Amino acid sequence: MVSQHGILLATGLISDHFGPLVAKVCDCLLRQGALQLQEIVRRLNLPPGQVKNSLLVLIQHNCVQAFSSPSPRGDRTMTLYLTIFNNVLHRLRFSKFISVIRADIPESEALIEGLLQNGRLTFDQLVGRTISKVPEGTIRPAREEIRMNFNRLVSARYVERCPKAEPHFNPQEDEQSTTARKRAPKTAEEVLSLEQKVVNTATLSDPERFSEIPYSMEDASKTNDRPHNVVAGAKRKHGAFEVDEELNSTIAENEVLWRVNFEKFIFCLKKKFCADRKKPKLKVGTHPIWESFFEANLTDKDTNSVTSSIGGILEKLGQKEGGAAMSIGQIQPVLEDLQCTTSTGEEFTFDLHKMIEACRNEEIESLVKKKYGQEAFTIFRLLVTQGCAVETDQIIDTTILDKQIVHSTLYKLWNDGYIDTEKIASAAGTGYAQFFVWRAKNTFREQFVDNLYHAALNLRQMVNYIAELLLEGSKDETKLRNRKNILILALTRHDDSLLLFCDF
Amino acid sequence: MPPRKRPLEPSSGMPAQPDVKPVISPPPKSAPAPVPAPAPVPAPGPEILPASILNNLPGPEREVYKRIYEAGNKGMWSQDIRYTMKLAAPTLTKLTRALVQRGILKEVTDVRHRGKKVFMDARIEPSPEITGGTWYHNGQLDTDAVAAVRRRCLDQIDRLGAATPDMVHKGVEREDPRAGYSIDQIRDILQTMALDRVLEECRSTGEGEFSAVRAGRVCYRRGGAPQGGMIEGIPCGVCPRIDECSPDGVISPPTCVYYKKWLQMDF
Ligand code: SF4
Repeated sequence: MVSQHGILLATGLISDHFGPLVAKVCDCLLRQGALQLQEIVRRLNLPPGQVKNSLLVLIQHNCVQAFSSPSPRGDRTMTLYLTIFNNVLHRLRFSKFISVIRADIPESEALIEGLLQNGRLTFDQLVGRTISKVPEGTIRPAREEIRMNFNRLVSARYVERCPKAEPHFNPQEDEQSTTARKRAPKTAEEVLSLEQKVVNTATLSDPERFSEIPYSMEDASKTNDRPHNVVAGAKRKHGAFEVDEELNSTIAENEVLWRVNFEKFIFCLKKKFCADRKKPKLKVGTHPIWESFFEANLTDKDTNSVTSSIGGILEKLGQKEGGAAMSIGQIQPVLEDLQCTTSTGEEFTFDLHKMIEACRNEEIESLVKKKYGQEAFTIFRLLVTQGCAVETDQIIDTTILDKQIVHSTLYKLWNDGYIDTEKIASAAGTGYAQFFVWRAKNTFREQFVDNLYHAALNLRQMVNYIAELLLEGSKDETKLRNRKNILILALTRHDDSLLLFCDF
Repeated sequence: MPPRKRPLEPSSGMPAQPDVKPVISPPPKSAPAPVPAPAPVPAPGPEILPASILNNLPGPEREVYKRIYEAGNKGMWSQDIRYTMKLAAPTLTKLTRALVQRGILKEVTDVRHRGKKVFMDARIEPSPEITGGTWYHNGQLDTDAVAAVRRRCLDQIDRLGAATPDMVHKGVEREDPRAGYSIDQIRDILQTMALDRVLEECRSTGEGEFSAVRAGRVCYRRGGAPQGGMIEGIPCGVCPRIDECSPDGVISPPTCVYYKKWLQMDF
């Protein structure tokens, strides 16, 4: 379940981008879970037409997924709508996604921009948009060229075919199959939310999802003035095989809807975050090795680790200043010191997940230190690293801190919900009736994340507040504009924390 | 109640492998053959007082003494003596005072409960549980001593790069032979420094910066500059009133004083 401030933030973003009406529908779905159209209409007391249009906007922008499910009585199927919370929040980070593309496939930047702005488009629409955006007097790109750039995005998995519009998903059946599986040998099965399950059901298989637009011979002769395929004419000229191919290409260009693959972008940002975060800790001369390791990562096996072959690392290293002279013998110990593991010496793997966990802990600890001081930091770290309940005297002993300070700090941390305490009756003969044990609360992270959402919500409100002041007209316009930019920048930076805790 | 101090490590049996890698070179001629330090024999507590003394004590005093002797180095709380022996408070005070005056009992401060009167056989050293351990002086944490030894440990780590507690201990001893820290004390201090992230606990690979440490040993090195603090740059990140703040509430971003100050909205 998304936290309270998470919902407020998501609704706020939707309101900024699509207006209050769409935001209302989004809010209703976020609070209630999956709903039918009539149900939303009833709850919001709005005309069905307006609700329907709002849903269409949300679907177009990948914020809502529809699915069909048998009605409770099982006599008919109904269509339910569900908000994809993460996709709503991704709207905060479009600028970051564009910088990823700018660094990787700069020639395709305009295409990604088009997809981000419009949510879902056919290739044909994208071509029309791209051509119309070209400034007067410059050469218009050929459709052929645009397709090449587009296919690059698909093959690198930055762009995907849209998921099924309304897959069939029955929450009750799913529940039963999960319970059935539970009786079988127990495996550490991840508990998926309804949202994740529906998304998984809607997702196409990988080959479908990332199949590029087929190339057809006809294209070479096509001009931009004739963006629409003249299939009928082509049919007569070619054999049956080519007709098939051409038909596929026509469908892929004119009918298939494409969208940005957020997963891939988040993975790129995650890699970049980890690579950058470690940089201040790198020893002199090891920067190029660390960078080459990340650059050489080609296969996206999973999103929790980076694997690169030693050959790839050497190749990338060769392109860097002073890197060409490095040998495997020099690189290997550096990689090992950076916690890259290898079994054969051929491939090195870095565990992103582990690093992200460590970074999350660092962030929370750092806040504890800032808010409650060095002693609280030490005590809190002890409780987190122990992972179990620790008795007061043992805390005093292990941290070698003054007893009074430990007592007052424990109280403060407990009062603010970071730690839990329990009174335990003492065994007879120890001379004490009871003692206290303390442990880091397992909800402190959720609370922290809720505060992150809250802070983002506040930044956004401040941006809007200053925008309003600007609209009213003021003599301090430049100053206000200046403050607004500071706030926007702060929100972009703050979003890194949200990414770290919620998306990586 | 869980034990307050880790039990003494077994001192007998196989000699532990040294943490430092042996450097193969002929031993310097002048160096005397290393004399193995005698293994510390845990000192047995003193026997109960001889009958000659006990028999001279009045009956009730003798009983009180026996009970307290049995409590060993943890001592006994006056209230507990009263309850077990069913004595009235003034009686007990009289008995214990007499025994203290004879030099048979002593009163010690229990670091956890400074208000409690705890008695102990005068010849017994109070346990660390009572005194608070080595870092306590008269029931108070000796913060200066802790700070001093932390500084010394850090000096050693800076000198050695990565080092095991044993190496740090030896280094500290070499620099100041009169300091007299035990290896356990050094180990405790290193652990708290790792908790503070001043140091980092790691396992030696035996190579590179660990070349002086046998592979696989737990050792410590500098923790590096602390990272984190991403949300501390904005007012709400460290705000003490965030729970009272809401978009349309009395406390809200447009009315917030922290924001006003941060954005220098004084025009
Ligand atoms: S807006 Fe002000 S009062 Fe509200 S959480 Fe942020 S800093 Fe605190």
